[in-house]
Amino acid sequence: MPKPEFIYVVYIETTPEKLWEALTSSEFSKRYWWNTEVKSDWKVGSPFALVMNGAPTDVGEVLEVDRPRRLSYTFHHVTSEVARRERPSKVVFNLEPHGKLVKLTLTHEDFEAGSKLLDGISKGWPAILSSLKSLLESGTALDVPLSALGIEGIE
Amino acid sequence: MSKPEFVYITYIETTPEQLWHALTDGDFHERYWFGHRVASDWKVGSPYRFAKQGSPSVEGKVLESEPPKRLVYTWDSCSPEARKERTSRVAFDIEPRGTVVKLTVTHDNLDEGGKTLRDISGGWPMVIASLKSLLETGRPLPAELALTQETSDA
Repeated sequence: MPKPEFIYVVYIETTPEKLWEALTSSEFSKRYWWNTEVKSDWKVGSPFALVMNGAPTDVGEVLEVDRPRRLSYTFHHVTSEVARRERPSKVVFNLEPHGKLVKLTLTHEDFEAGSKLLDGISKGWPAILSSLKSLLESGTALDVPLSALGIEGIE
Repeated sequence: MSKPEFVYITYIETTPEQLWHALTDGDFHERYWFGHRVASDWKVGSPYRFAKQGSPSVEGKVLESEPPKRLVYTWDSCSPEARKERTSRVAFDIEPRGTVVKLTVTHDNLDEGGKTLRDISGGWPMVIASLKSLLETGRPLPAELALTQETSDA
């Protein structure tokens, strides 16, 4: 049985520093992440939250901060009852320079067997990271309709 | 669906027609696919081939061709090691989503632990990232990116 996890790799024409800023700045995240603000002071042990249109959707704790190479936090979805009952999962971003590009590897892991959240994030991350790549390369984020992702509980 | 499989989803600011063109036109293909040019008449049952500077790299036949929604072909890498493996299969699904297009690449019927599985797992994120950049910005990703993988395979 494969480990319940989601891994996504994307190559972006940018610098590790700009990508780090994009992953940790709420002003930046609002532009590519459906108006979601990434909130934290980014110190190990500090709280982390995603706040969409003023309401928290996911909360956690910062686990690793190695700017601009590696960032990780725990991730607990709080808007759906089913996901709220699951234990927190873990998000890891690895940033590696490749010439004029950066290879971004997202690993979202530590899910319970049969996790409902795993299905949702597997649909969400490709849209978020596609939009992030567009914003960094062309200056314009994507307008991917959230409702078109087919995530249960999101209209 | 046969395991193991590799699935990669991306969203691109383009139209289904432009994306179909990008997947099937030799000139365009060569620009984002790090010099690999594709040729086929894209009729079901027809052969297709990738070639880099005239040297064949991948070949197969067209299984499904429904512009601009779905393209499926068999996949046989021309490297000596991969030739011993079974024929795998690649499906491209193109779906409009508001002002953008969702592209799903599904590569299946792969040998467990084989060279093809290893190569394509590293290769698709590079190719699709370059395709997206070319369609959105007019510039593909630099070809040196693919060389890092080709070198590590040698």
